[in-house]
Amino acid sequence: MGLYRTNAIVLRSIKLSETDKLVTFMSEQFGKVKCVARGARKIKSRFAGSLEPMTHVYLIYFGKENQQLFSLNNADIIESFHQLREDFQKLYTGVYLNELVDAMTVEMQEDKQIFQLLLDSLNALQNQSGFETLCRMFEIRLLSVSGHRPELNHCAVCKTAKVNGWVGFSYARRGIVCGHCMKQTGTEIKFTTGTLNYLRKLLTLDINCSGRLKFPKGMDEEIEKITHRLILSHVGRELKSYPFIKNMAAIG
Amino acid sequence: MKRPPAVTELVDELKKLPGVGQKTAERLSFFILRGPVERALKLATAIKNVKEKIILCSRCHGITEKDPCDICQNPGRNQAQICVVEEPHDVYILENMGQYKGVYHVLMGVISPLDGIGPGELTIESLKEKVAKGNVTEVILATNPDMEGESTAAYIAKVLKPSAVRVTRIARGLPIGSDIEYADSVTLMKSLEGRSEML
Repeated sequence: MGLYRTNAIVLRSIKLSETDKLVTFMSEQFGKVKCVARGARKIKSRFAGSLEPMTHVYLIYFGKENQQLFSLNNADIIESFHQLREDFQKLYTGVYLNELVDAMTVEMQEDKQIFQLLLDSLNALQNQSGFETLCRMFEIRLLSVSGHRPELNHCAVCKTAKVNGWVGFSYARRGIVCGHCMKQTGTEIKFTTGTLNYLRKLLTLDINCSGRLKFPKGMDEEIEKITHRLILSHVGRELKSYPFIKNMAAIG
Repeated sequence: MKRPPAVTELVDELKKLPGVGQKTAERLSFFILRGPVERALKLATAIKNVKEKIILCSRCHGITEKDPCDICQNPGRNQAQICVVEEPHDVYILENMGQYKGVYHVLMGVISPLDGIGPGELTIESLKEKVAKGNVTEVILATNPDMEGESTAAYIAKVLKPSAVRVTRIARGLPIGSDIEYADSVTLMKSLEGRSEML
């Protein structure tokens, strides 16, 4: 029986039996971890507000090394990100980021980069507007740190770095296709080098500055098509919060 | 030797209840089997009645045997004050307190992006219609103080804003009898925000 201590972000919290909660964390040291928080739904529970999604906590849990479900011992709030819960768009964007991490990671596989990316993104979300850019940045960076970075510098077919005018994107080859190769192989989507430059910026720009990067009209849809479809091809299903965000945006 | 099919059927049905596993279902089944026939039939009748007689109140969406429910048609209740709750059983928790004299509105759930539940799945439209009639002076939002409850409350406050009705939220903070030493920062912050005059 081991006792584990780590920083973590609450990804999901669901009701379990009479008074318990089943909480999924993205931890810094041990990757995605699921814990049972006994008595967490009681009004005088010591866990209280610390198990709300998007909360950054210092976690203590215990259990056997190879088990799937641990027992939560303590969760101290480091940053509650409560401002995210007071703004609709921020809240649903945060929920989407959490769901993405939950879907793209497996349990007990340490990944400090994903933890840091989520933490930085929640901080950026709390401090600025421009949610669409942040979502696209998060999607492409999550793919990148998970080892599925799309090839944006060379043609995925002929490997040339010279791409001008119209560029294609091949989901099968996971990269851009130059104009010449596009005529021969065909691609699902084509866009201008301007869109390609924005895609490259999403990978290099400081995440705290995502609010400053504004996509020209029409280009935002192109970029969303590329990044979100790449995510779909990895996860294998549509995320529940994605259509929800779109519906809420339509309602206003 | 196998159990008689009737017992197996009862165990299988009881197992479908939340929090009831194989062992608990077996224990309950043999308790029913050992007890008097009247007790078992009373339980069966109670289950039958609850499914046949209970309907949703057309005004508040709470559970009732007659429409409108006792609370909605009670002339002693303040019809201008509506307390919005998540589930029908929340009405009875608030009623046990014995202090609230207004009426209720049951949302039948909360907005939950991860479960794909949006405002359209709840009874928010019916609340809006009630408020639009102009007889309501206050809407008290008594959803749970968790992420889903807070976002649902915020959404309702937003949609009711144009109607100029007074929209209030139940207080959040330290529970009676708790120890401030063990309170987390969010709860403490909320309790400070919602502080009130002593004199």
